[in-house]
Formats: sequence, C-alpha cells, structure tokens
Amino acid sequence: MSLWSRIGNVFRGDKVNREIQEEFEAHMEEAIAAGRDPEEARRAFGSMMQQREKSHTIRVAAWFENFVQDTAYGVRSMLRSKALTAVALLSLALGIGANTAIFSLLDAVLLRSLPVKDPQRLMMLGGKEWDNGISDEYGKTTLYSYPFYRQFQKRNSVFSDTAAIFSMQNNVHGFIGNQIASVPMKVQLISGTYFPTLGVEPAMGRMLTDADDSSEGDHPVAVISDAWWKHAMGKDPAVLGRTLKLGDTIFTIVGVAPAEFFGTSVGEAPDIWVPLSMIQSVPPHFAGYTDNSYESLWIIGRMKPGVTQEQATANTDILFRQILLGETNRKPTQRELNNLNNTHMQLTSMATGISSLRRQFSEPLQLLMGIVALVLLIACTNIANLLLARATARARELAVRQALGARRARIIRQLLTESLILALTGGALGVVFAMAASRLLLRMVSTGPEITPLNLGLNTTVLLFTLGITVATALLFGTIPAFRATRMQLTETLKEGRGMVKGSTKNLLARTMVVLQVALSLVLVVGASLFLRSLINLTNVDTGFNRENVLWLAIDPSSVGYKEDDPRLKTMFQEIEARVSALPGVRAASFSDFVFHEGSWNDWITVPGMPINYDANVRHNVVGNGYFATMQIPLVAGRFIGPQDTANSQHVAVINEYMAKTLFPAGSPIGKSYHMGGSDNPLVQVIGIVKNVKYSDMDERPTFIDYVSYVQRPSGYLGDFTVRYTGDFHAAADAVQKTIHSVDRSLPISFVTTLDKQVALSMTNQRVVAQLSIFFGLLAVFLSCIGIYGLMSYIVSQRTNEIGIRMALGARQSNVRWLVLREIAVMVLIGIAIGVPATLAGGQLVAHMLFGLKDNDPLSIAVAVGVLLAVGLIAGYFPARRASRVDPMVALRYE
Amino acid sequence: MAQYPPRTKTDSLQGSLDLLVLKILSRRPRLHGYAIMAAIADISDEILRAEEGSLYPALHRMEETGWIRAEWIKKESGRRARIYELTAAGKKQLGAEESRWAAISSAINRVLREA
Repeated sequence: MSLWSRIGNVFRGDKVNREIQEEFEAHMEEAIAAGRDPEEARRAFGSMMQQREKSHTIRVAAWFENFVQDTAYGVRSMLRSKALTAVALLSLALGIGANTAIFSLLDAVLLRSLPVKDPQRLMMLGGKEWDNGISDEYGKTTLYSYPFYRQFQKRNSVFSDTAAIFSMQNNVHGFIGNQIASVPMKVQLISGTYFPTLGVEPAMGRMLTDADDSSEGDHPVAVISDAWWKHAMGKDPAVLGRTLKLGDTIFTIVGVAPAEFFGTSVGEAPDIWVPLSMIQSVPPHFAGYTDNSYESLWIIGRMKPGVTQEQATANTDILFRQILLGETNRKPTQRELNNLNNTHMQLTSMATGISSLRRQFSEPLQLLMGIVALVLLIACTNIANLLLARATARARELAVRQALGARRARIIRQLLTESLILALTGGALGVVFAMAASRLLLRMVSTGPEITPLNLGLNTTVLLFTLGITVATALLFGTIPAFRATRMQLTETLKEGRGMVKGSTKNLLARTMVVLQVALSLVLVVGASLFLRSLINLTNVDTGFNRENVLWLAIDPSSVGYKEDDPRLKTMFQEIEARVSALPGVRAASFSDFVFHEGSWNDWITVPGMPINYDANVRHNVVGNGYFATMQIPLVAGRFIGPQDTANSQHVAVINEYMAKTLFPAGSPIGKSYHMGGSDNPLVQVIGIVKNVKYSDMDERPTFIDYVSYVQRPSGYLGDFTVRYTGDFHAAADAVQKTIHSVDRSLPISFVTTLDKQVALSMTNQRVVAQLSIFFGLLAVFLSCIGIYGLMSYIVSQRTNEIGIRMALGARQSNVRWLVLREIAVMVLIGIAIGVPATLAGGQLVAHMLFGLKDNDPLSIAVAVGVLLAVGLIAGYFPARRASRVDPMVALRYE
Repeated sequence: MAQYPPRTKTDSLQGSLDLLVLKILSRRPRLHGYAIMAAIADISDEILRAEEGSLYPALHRMEETGWIRAEWIKKESGRRARIYELTAAGKKQLGAEESRWAAISSAINRVLREA
C-alpha cells in the first residue's frame, strides 16, 4: 500500500471500520437466512472483534496500538532475564552517558551559538587565531585602538552596528556600596554599542548605550550579570541605583543582564560590564581611549541585511588600510608598510563567540568524542550479542508465533521495539550519569582557581543528540539479531526444539562481533597508554626552575589606590620582599611580572652590530632581586640582578642561554647592550646568563627570555609574588599573608597556591586526555570481557551435549578446557591482528598531541596486546572451567 | 438442533484457501463473502470449510495484493453487500496456484502409490 493511501487511511479509518462492520452484518444476514442458528453464528463470529483488529492493520493509527502491545510484551520479557537486562542497561548507560557528557562539553565549548539576536549575522574583525592583550605591532588585524573603532564605525558600509570589546577582563577587587571588605569582580570593558549590536535586552533596568560611551570619564555606570546579581547582591530587587566602587570611582548599577547572557567569550563570564569611556577609572587603569597606537580591542559587527561575508570582508579590508594610513600621528617604517600591504583582512563568524578555551580544548574534545563513540560501539556489539543469544534461546517461541500467523515484519518490529525500550531506558540512565559526569568533567578542565563558568545543563541540542544516538544504538544492536531471529526454517526450528544446535556457523556473527570488540579495545588501550606515557614525559620535563616548595600568590595593588607610576608601589614591593624573606623558614621571596604559564610580554630586540631579527620574540620578565633564588634558576655566567642595580645606575638585564647563543655575536654577551624593541628604547646591559626555563608550557621549545629589575623600570604593577619556603605550606602561607598585610592592610591577595600546582595545571589538557582515555580504555576492555565471557558461556551451554560425548569418549578435563580457551585465543588474536594496523593508522591522527614518544610506540602496543590477551583468557577461563566440569551422564541427558 | 454447517475439527484449508477462493471467483464472479464460504462447503460436500476468521482476512489481503477487487452493491433487503471478483493479476495467480497444487498433489499421490 502506498504511503499516500496509508496517510489517507488515517482519516478514512472510521469509514473503513464502518464498511467492515457492514460487510459482517451482511454476512450474518445471509448466514441466518440460510438457516444458521443466530446464536451460533454470532459465536462463530466471536472473532469479529479480532477480525476488525486485523483489518485495522491497514490503518496507521494501529501502529500505535501495536507499539503499546510490543512495549508491554518487551518489558515483560526483559524482566524475565534480569541479569542480561542489567548488564545491557549498564553498558548502555555508560556508553550513552559518556557520549552525552563529552558532547555537552563539546556543545558548550565549540558548537553553541551565543544567546543573542541572530548570532549568524555577527562578524569579528580578524582571523581564526585570537589575540588578546595590548599590541604595539603595526597593522595587526586582531586588535584595534578605540579611535580606529570609531573611524571604522563611521565609515564602513556593510555593518548596521559595530561594537568594541576590550580584549582582556579586568580582575578588580572592588567594593559594593560602602562595604569595607573588597570583593573580586570580573569587569568587562565594552563600547556603548555592545548590547545594541548583540540585541540583548535587560532583565532589569537598562543596558548600556552609545550615550554612555560619548566622552571619557563621564559615565560611571555598570550593568551586572544575572549570576553576579544572585550571588553577590543577594538577588536584591532594588539593585538598580546601588553603587560599586572600582578603584577611586563610584559606579551606579543601571541594569541586570538576562540570565542566559554570559558575554561574548565562552567560559569567561564577566560579572560587570562598564563602558570603555571609563577605561582609566577601572583598575588596573588601562588607557587608550584617544590613543590610536594603543591597540587592545576586538571589533565586532552585525552585517546589514543582504550583505554577504565576502562583501563585508572586502569593504573592511579597504577601510582597514585607509584608516591606518590616514593616521597622521604615526610614522610607520617601510617594513611596517610592507607588512600592511601583505596583510589581508579576514572576518570570522561571531556566532559561537570568542574562546581561548576553544583553542585549548577543541582538539582534545573531538578526540574524546571519537573515543566515547568507539566505546559505545563496543557496548552496542555486546548488546547485539546478548540479544542474538537470547533470540536463539527464544527461537521456539518466535517459531510458534510465526506458525500462529504472526507476520515476520511484525516479529521484527516486536524485537526492534524491545531493543528500543532497552536503548531508551539505557539512554535515560545515561542522561542521569552524564549530568554528574559533565560536572566532574568541567571541574577537570577548569584551570583557574574557580570552576570555568560554562552552562552544561541539559538543553535541547544535547537531548536531541542523546535521543539520536540512543535510537541509532537501538537500530545498531537490534537490527541484526531481529532479522537473524526471524529468518529461520519454521518447521525445522519447531522440530528441532531445544536440542542440538547446527554447527558453529550460527555463531559466526557473534564471533565476528567479539573480534571487533577486541580490535576496538586494542585501539583504545594503545591510545590510553600513549597519552599516559606522553603525560609522564611531560611531567618529567626539566622546567629549568625548581617547582617544589614555592608558594605563589597574587596581589592586586591597582584596586586599592596605587597608581602605576606611584613611587610608593616599588617601596611597598621592596618592603614586602624584605619582611617576607626575613620570616623563619623562608629562603627567598620576590615579586615578578610572570612566573609560569601566564601569557607573556614579548618583543623583538635590537642588538647594536647585529641585523634585527623581527621574528625573534624575546619574552620579558620584570623581577625582584630575589627571583632567581626563589625559583632556583641556575646562573651560567656573570651575576644576578642585585641591590647595586638601582634606578639611577646602568640598566641591566639577565638573559637566558638560548638568547645568549642565538641573538648575540660570537663570544660572551656579558657586558654587551641591547634595546628591548627598536633603537628608540633605552639600552640595557647584559650582566648575567641563566639556564633556559619553561615560560608558558611544558612542551615548548627553548625560547628567548630576559629578566630586568622592577627597580629600574619606570612604572608598572607586578602581580605575582613567589616565596621559597621550607616546612608546612599552610603555616608558610599564613605567615606570608600576615606579613603582606602588615605592610598594607588593604592589599587584596587573590589566590594562594604553589608553583608545583600551577605547573600541573598547565598540563590540564594533556592530563584530562590521559585520564579519560585510560578510563574509557578500561571501560572498553571491561565491556569486551563481558562480551567474551557472555559468548563463551553461551557456546559452552550450547555444546554441553557435545562436550559430554567427548568426555564419555575419554577426553580429559584439560582437553576440554583447552578446547574452549583455544576458541577464545583465536578470536582475541584475530582481533589483535585487525587492531594493530587500525591503531597504527589511527595513531597518525594523534601523533602531534604526543610528547616525547612516537605514535607507533612499540611498548604501548605491546602492553595493549598483553592486556587484551590476559583479559581475554581470564574472561574465557570461567566458561572453560565450567565446560571441563561437565558430568558426561548429565550432559548426555541434557536436552 | 443440528449444527449447520457441521464443523470440521481442523482447518483443512491451511495453505490452499487462496486457491479455492480464486477458483470459485473465476467460475462465479461477483460473490459476497458468505456465498464464497457456502460455495466451498457446498462443492466439497461439507468436507472443506472456510472459517470466517480465515476467509475475510484472506479476502482483504488478496484485495490489497490486487488479485481480486471488491464493490458494494445494494441488495433487495436494502442492505449493502460487498462482492468480490477476480482481476487480471488474480487470474494469473490462479493459474500459478493451480499448477503448484497439481504438482504437489500428484507428487503426494505418487508417494502414496509407490512407497
């Protein structure tokens, strides 16, 4: 029947029913007229209802009735074999749960659109690789100055709205109202057009507008996030008009953002939005409202209706050059002009926002998604095997039902319904599991002192994904057994009963699936082993400094009134260093601009007498005199920075070995001078060479680093304070904090940790991948174990009769055991034979994620092969032992 | 009270109901369900009996397959009756079923004779 007439039947259903009724009435009339007893006739027609039901099948509505029946039947039959159902549900819940958990993270980090109006029309100036910070590089397409933004806004013809976002968050310690204790606040500076461009409406009050961004310093207003309103303002319904003190400036809260709005940077939800016009008022008091060389903004725009990305790119590209070249106060060098000519503007979709998290985790997440998909596949093959075994056990039942007239399609549907129930139940359990797991995952990937603000709650996308994979798994594991079970010779099956099972061809499919499981598990175990060894290699990397026994805390002088060029700042630093160093158990202490894994301040350098290498980025660190002693960075030649280096003496620098060898003329660089940046910067003299250290990451190659003294810098905040201590960490931490507050009681201390912990956090990415791939590798092996055990138990029970005969004929227990184990060994070996080439092929995909070993690492493969062989034989040992203990007499009588 | 028609214990028509229905409709087109049932009983001297529970599903199935087609007619009593007749496809199917039946029955006869 065509689909069309089927659809028609839904509406004609009642008519069809009436016609059937009418036909029976006519039939009855004839029968009675022919002399048949009316009562008897009715009884003969007792099956009338049943008749109608059969005629029903031509109606689509009947599908639902059948489904309800099938469901009820399926639930009953699943409850009959509780162990099987439990194993299947557990495998499914783990498989689907793992997929859902990873997917919800993947969705939040990579896929989800910003909760703003029409996010697809939003574009960002610049390429895929975001930069943040403040740049003085001419002609960069990622970061822009505020004057550039205003020019671009006025002159472009492709964006209906444009907005600027300060590329860093200001982490301020501010005060709510007149409170005395400071509160950490994540402040995001934005242009007044930010909210109108995004189309975000306030939950309360008003959002910021361009009017709040019209003149510098005149608009102390703030919009706060819903989350912050809840936890910092206690959901105060009268929050509008309350004030916040950031630095010296009192800001008035004018609005609360809607709950779903977290800003435009995924995983970096700000607490407070403030117009860029207030940039100098918000600690640490950045500048640049009127300075076109202060390039620190991202620019986004909403494309006008009908404008394509190509048109927008072309227009932006032209304007980019025109605006930069029109700047009369900047005199670009010939090199910079050449660079500008070779630079091409790219626009990047802002639909999913900006995220450094994405750069860091996009690859590991995709890898993990692949891994969990394989785990689910293994779970599927397991369940398919269990169902296959059960379908064979139910062969008689199914044969009887077919003999009684059930159509094959109907039985297949029945079996598929059972699979679907199994999958849906497993899926529901999986979602519960995933909700817990995704919270755990989020904690695992959070590198900061607090958990990354990502919304991993269930949403439609995630639920649809779960439903999708659930149905897919049901089809995957249910289809083959269902078709297998119904493709049988009825009479044979009925006659054969529960007796001998013909040959082993029947188990070929099941065996193939076990082989597949072993192969997949091998891939996952090798992967786990590779990532674990890679992590160990990474952890054992020589950082160049001694990461043990270093306390690390951050202070925030900018929030409590210290200006960048305040002479009190350096005095305070020195005072704290002196007092902390004098504490018992403290070996050394020092302020610094950077310690490890914190971004960088980098520049090329000019060495007189050497050609300038613009690609040689030297990373600068501004340190106190005690820094090298605190970090225990060994001196190679010359001397460290010391008290003799004062603001008025020759400015000096300590450089690392790599820089000394590469960027200086032959011979010792000590005593030589260079400019940080171009030759218009003051000269610094090299006084010492130290060992190379890791600056950002454990797996980085040697990098150029120089160290200068904060005493000799004109200005600048230093946020990091490190202390080399002995003894108990907590005692040291307490003493250090008390000492800092004895110098300035108001100075906010934002986090207290150890260098060791921060080094470990820098490997979060690799650690998460290693931990999860180990977990999933073990899960895969465990599921394969169940698979092998299940199949062998089943085969043994099928062959009880044969085994009995063998034993009656004189086979010994060991022979029988070997008989079973041999089968397992063959399957595992075939699985390995398939798995090894698959692993080698797959390894190439992850080769670049490994550190200190190759993707075809023989040890990892050997370990995995060993694990699978051992596990396979253990899983098979129990069925083998059971087989060998068969009593021949019992076995022969066994039906 | 005599039972009418006498009921056979087993459904002796298993597998051959389609053949009988097609054959009867080929000889006597435009019969309603009851008439087909009566004809089977009648011609076979009450030995073969088609149950309503088998006949009507068979009729609907064959109609769906396209071997027969149905039509409503008005009877004298004023009731409507549904009558069936063979289609071209049904004629072809009848031929096939008949030769299959002939092959099987002659094979069985041979076995009975010669075994």
